[in-house]
Amino acid sequence: MSSAVTTPGKSVGKSNYTIPVGPLHVALEEPMYFRIDVSGETVNAVEINAGHVHRGIEYLATKRSLNQNIVLTERICSLCSNSHPEAFAMAAETIAGLTVPERGQYLRVIAGEVKRLASNLFNVAILTHLVGYESMFMHIMQVRETAQDIKEGVFGNRMDLGAMCIGGVRYDLDEETIGILTAGLDKIEPEVAEIVKTFKTNGSILRRTKEIGVLAKEDAIACGVVGPVARGSGVDYDVRREAPYHVYDRMPLEVRTFDDGDVWSRAMIRLHEAQNAIAIIRSCLKELPGGAVNLGTKLDIPPGHAVAKAEAPRGELIYYLKTNDTEQPERLKWRVPTFMNWDALGLMLRNAKVADIAIIVNSIDPCISCTER
Amino acid sequence: MNFLRLFARNLREGPYTEAFPFAPAPTAKRFRGKIEFDAETCEGCRLCERVCPAGAIKMERTAEGMTFDCWHDTCVFCGNCEFHCPTKSIHQTADWHLAHRQEDKYRMVEHGLIPFQVCTECGSKGLATAPAAGSANPPLTAEEFQHVKSLCPKCRGKFMRARKTKAKA
Ligand code: SF4
Ligand code: SF4
Repeated sequence: MSSAVTTPGKSVGKSNYTIPVGPLHVALEEPMYFRIDVSGETVNAVEINAGHVHRGIEYLATKRSLNQNIVLTERICSLCSNSHPEAFAMAAETIAGLTVPERGQYLRVIAGEVKRLASNLFNVAILTHLVGYESMFMHIMQVRETAQDIKEGVFGNRMDLGAMCIGGVRYDLDEETIGILTAGLDKIEPEVAEIVKTFKTNGSILRRTKEIGVLAKEDAIACGVVGPVARGSGVDYDVRREAPYHVYDRMPLEVRTFDDGDVWSRAMIRLHEAQNAIAIIRSCLKELPGGAVNLGTKLDIPPGHAVAKAEAPRGELIYYLKTNDTEQPERLKWRVPTFMNWDALGLMLRNAKVADIAIIVNSIDPCISCTER
Repeated sequence: MNFLRLFARNLREGPYTEAFPFAPAPTAKRFRGKIEFDAETCEGCRLCERVCPAGAIKMERTAEGMTFDCWHDTCVFCGNCEFHCPTKSIHQTADWHLAHRQEDKYRMVEHGLIPFQVCTECGSKGLATAPAAGSANPPLTAEEFQHVKSLCPKCRGKFMRARKTKAKA
């Protein structure tokens, strides 16, 4: 927990404190260290320090074959776990000039959107927890549990779907799993609509999230933020629309923006994208073509290098892959959404109340593990 | 959100949590759990060992043949081995009951053995692996499969080449 240290000499009426928060703290999901200078109840300056969960994954990746790295990259991040192998596989496919079979592309979209649905619900649930609305937290987590059941029923795991492989996907849908998927979506859809309604009307949520942690559009552009954080500040950018991959150009994708740039806007973007994910999965199921789901297991990836990007639940994810004539990549590097977004925390936390710090930090949906890898 | 309605619903439906361990927990059919290995159908290609990102699989030549070991405490249940296995001799079951005592940690292993056999043609020693039937055209019949399986690598090659020439003619 945090302890207060007085900074001598600065007390003019209100007292100035420096509060260390983290690296282990009840309000943080992951280790991160904040040094917060406050005057009274208001934040003056924030210093963010990282490096507590560095696992050396970039190095590990160069010690594993491309096929092994599909699994390793999935374990970089838990909530965006599907997007990492997805972007990695896309980079490998670009190098080898491979085209994923159409059915495989649809199945990739389905896997990605199921993850987005669950991930966004999780973040919104944590927000209600930080606001102190515990019954709502329990309820959203229960709704998300249905999404977890979909993942377990269709992919065989609650977090790491294991859906991707170079050249397509590793799973296929049959009547039974399509049944699990649609039944789950039918259950989640009305619940999410109710949650949206609550977010628009509930006093405790509105009071703690409206005009809190504001990031103006100019600042959002200057920081280069991505994902729901960017769209919550009026930056109209989504990789799925700007550089469509798989079959996103045929999907009922609806990119929404809010101009306020506060915690509430970011939560509403996430809820909207959860709803949109359901629509996208439904349209995939309707159009799902037959045929192969991947290009088989014996693929040859020649020496070369490529960049690929995908829209993870938290925003734009970029992969760089360089191969040589060994099985292992010569270099694998990725830029995760949180890396872009956490710089903006300094601006969002300026003049914030101490009690809002956790809410604001959560609103960028930080993933420290994938940023530090 | 009408919390009174939700409250009534939750009251009616009871807790969402499973009664496990006092009652069985429902498990999805596709759940990716414990590894199972079938030495009968394994080709001994060792692809599974190569693609396993965790290094959980170890295959080794011993005096009895080729051993297969999958360490469940190292396995990350990714399913890469099953995906790359040409015969699906290795596969993930829906069994997730892997809790164990500390003293049992080195026993959480799926073990298998592909034994040595004496070639029915030439009498030399070879591994009793399943023949790599994937590339055979036309596909091997059940009898041919059993016959090829009983041969040493050299005699297998001879048989397959002869078969190919016959198929062409
Ligand atoms: S289990 Fe499959 S991949 Fe492993 S050696 Fe046997 S045939 Fe090859
Ligand atoms: S499931 Fe994954 S970690 Fe486990 S043995 Fe197979 S390849 Fe290795």
